[in-house]
Amino acid sequence: MRQLLNAEKLCKTYHRSGTAVEALQEVSLHIEVGECLGVVGESGSGKSTLGRILLALEKPDRGDVRLQDHSIIGLKGKALREVRKHIQVVFQDPTSSLNQRLPIWRSVIEALDNFPEITPPFLEDVRHSRRDTAAKLLEMVGLKAEHLDRYPHELSGGQRQRVAIARGISLMPKLLICDEPTSSLDVTVQAQILQLLKRMKMELGMACLFISHDIAAVRLMSDRIIVMKEGRILDQFASRDIMSDERHEYTRKLVAVVS
Amino acid sequence: MNLEAANRSYSVRARRNHWKVLLQFPTMGIGIALMSMILLLTFIGPLIVPNDPLTVVMSERLQSPSWQYPLGTDHMGRCIFSRLMAGAQITLGVSFLVILTVIIIGIPLGLVSGYVGGRLDAILMRFVDGLAALPEFIWVIAVSGFLGPSLTNMIFSIVMIKWIGYARMVRGIVLSEREKEYVLAATVAGTGTWKILSRHLLPQVISPVVILAALDIGKIILIISSLSYLGLGAQPPTPEWGAMLNDGRPYFQTIPELMIYPGVAIMLVVISCNLIGDGLRDYLDVRSR
Amino acid sequence: MTQILSIGAPILELKDLSICLHHGKQHQILVHDLNLMLRPGETLALVGESGSGKSLTANAVLGLLGNSLQISGGQILVCGEDIVPWSDKERRKLRGTGIGLVFQDYQGSFTPFIKIGKQFVETLRSHNSLSVQEAKLQAMNWLGRVGLPAERVFNSYPFQLSGGQRQRAAIAAALMLKPSLLIADEPTTALDVLTSETVLDLLDELQSQTGCAILMISHDLRQVLKRADTIAVMKEGRIVESGAAEVIRTRPTHAYTKMLLKSRPLLTEIHAQLLAEEQALAGTGDRLA
Repeated sequence: MRQLLNAEKLCKTYHRSGTAVEALQEVSLHIEVGECLGVVGESGSGKSTLGRILLALEKPDRGDVRLQDHSIIGLKGKALREVRKHIQVVFQDPTSSLNQRLPIWRSVIEALDNFPEITPPFLEDVRHSRRDTAAKLLEMVGLKAEHLDRYPHELSGGQRQRVAIARGISLMPKLLICDEPTSSLDVTVQAQILQLLKRMKMELGMACLFISHDIAAVRLMSDRIIVMKEGRILDQFASRDIMSDERHEYTRKLVAVVS
Repeated sequence: MNLEAANRSYSVRARRNHWKVLLQFPTMGIGIALMSMILLLTFIGPLIVPNDPLTVVMSERLQSPSWQYPLGTDHMGRCIFSRLMAGAQITLGVSFLVILTVIIIGIPLGLVSGYVGGRLDAILMRFVDGLAALPEFIWVIAVSGFLGPSLTNMIFSIVMIKWIGYARMVRGIVLSEREKEYVLAATVAGTGTWKILSRHLLPQVISPVVILAALDIGKIILIISSLSYLGLGAQPPTPEWGAMLNDGRPYFQTIPELMIYPGVAIMLVVISCNLIGDGLRDYLDVRSR
Repeated sequence: MTQILSIGAPILELKDLSICLHHGKQHQILVHDLNLMLRPGETLALVGESGSGKSLTANAVLGLLGNSLQISGGQILVCGEDIVPWSDKERRKLRGTGIGLVFQDYQGSFTPFIKIGKQFVETLRSHNSLSVQEAKLQAMNWLGRVGLPAERVFNSYPFQLSGGQRQRAAIAAALMLKPSLLIADEPTTALDVLTSETVLDLLDELQSQTGCAILMISHDLRQVLKRADTIAVMKEGRIVESGAAEVIRTRPTHAYTKMLLKSRPLLTEIHAQLLAEEQALAGTGDRLA
């Protein structure tokens, strides 16, 4: 397997009202091409900070992140743009991750507008028209052309998350980071969104970093799983070994709750 | 096919009934009606005035209202009605000019300062700190006093002080918005700084700025009038409402109308601006619809 | 003990309850002909997705429907007495002592700027004639019973506690007035999985000690299966299926209930299925090779 992304000894400390919070302490991980890595942890475990650092939205205090052997830390301008092509995101709450003032199709097409040179294979026949491209993307995530001109508040939570996923896959990134993509949705919708993500991952051959507090969802999505607590990696294992006796005590607790 | 149907239905939905909005927000309706009347008078006023607002007729000074002078004459024998009409253009024109300049300077500086931060942000915040030391009006008096009394200097001094408030408000909104996920998502989608500012953040600040401007225009008219009243603004014989107040001051005991007419004119404009501002605030607040 | 209690007369009974939303002249029925029964010591879980009307039902029992919402038919019997025609004052008294309440939003359960202890003492004293000292003793006792460090929490402000601690304190506050019915509206939705479990364990334990009935509102059927005696599944304002938790778990009849269960499979089920898929794939791979 080829390694896609490699993070080494990431450390990050936040200073909030006098107290230092160590969000990440020496966290190292790697993601292989086309693989889905799950990250489980409760709130305050540092899993979202990890996601933001891998997205180059924040800089770690120490440590390095390498995308196919090129460091992405501290990049600016063109070099950062190059990284953005390959790493995309789906956030937790589609209500806040979509601009409420833009119609759906403008949000969906945003990344492709920024990278006119990119034409993913699944968009080859429609790329000449922005609206056709947006319509095709919506269709891929199970929405219809009639949703193009809707505004986010006119859609349901699940539909909004589908829009966010359409935007996330539009560049056909090598890595899609999903930060709690189902936590703000109803249970029945959660299952649909997970299925959609899984299908997209298979069809497009993307690698995924799937961050969630729900270990059942992580098991469903991931090939390998990392368990985080208080900024550290406690346990890491191949997904099929989730029930093994060698699991960390904390992992076993998390497993017991949903079994 | 489907796409065309979507396009068609969208154009239908976009046609909303804007008149209903006025009924829903009556204060704004009244404000707009009042303001339209004032603006109409401002534009056609100079065409229908009976006398030249600058002509001094010393023999006719301090006359009571008559057919020739609908509101009487002032201490120099000039027609008050004609001067009020002519003054409207100056007072309103100057205040609209001021508010426009302030917005044009304040929005971009606030956006960049809030989103990019850095040295510009530090300088802006020092300005804000300094400004907070004294009331705005004192600063305007100080600056325009320093530059010397003239209409241009007055405009300059008001703009100099006022833009900071707008920039600060825009900066505050941007500071809270830029952490939200839609901005982060746009960043990850490769959207550049300028596009994030213009497409994602600018629309968020427009409505609060418009509301603030509508409420502020009343204040600016008062500042202009006050400065003119103090002799720092429009210079005689320019007919400006504040200056007219000043001219009427020595006669306040005997002929209060000299101050009442321009005073009422100022009051009407300020009230209509405030009504529009309040209404806009309710109208643009999504929750109230 | 609980066995004997659960044969008793129902604490809460809803008979053909309908709730209606008035919107100008139009009205829309949001909850249709709901029938529920809850006996002492029992836990009834009302499960549904957002918009199913489950929280509306709880609010109707509490008399907390807003102005635009109205009970349009049916009865709410608390200990055999219909409370629909009751006045606000009578309902408030019932909320204090007869029915306890735990919200999803644990931040909203306490006033932010008053210490927990003081809020406990005030609540106790407003419903019982107790001296400050007695009330304090009782409050400390209850904080201890929900597994909190009583002394420290008593002297803390709400924001100084973690989410789980605050929810425990909220449970103590609700139960210390010895209600015969506790309504828990999504009590763990805002909490982490492990914290949720301990909070639910605590509710179980206190229920067996006090014998109160619990009406649990939840969107997560899987979570309440282990906790509730009876389950009612709501969809679009109607109960689509209700019955003993064990029956719902093993032999659900309505398609919607089945879908709810299917969309939240147990980790063990997911795991087994994925392993089977993997083997099947490996199998076809072998055959192809």
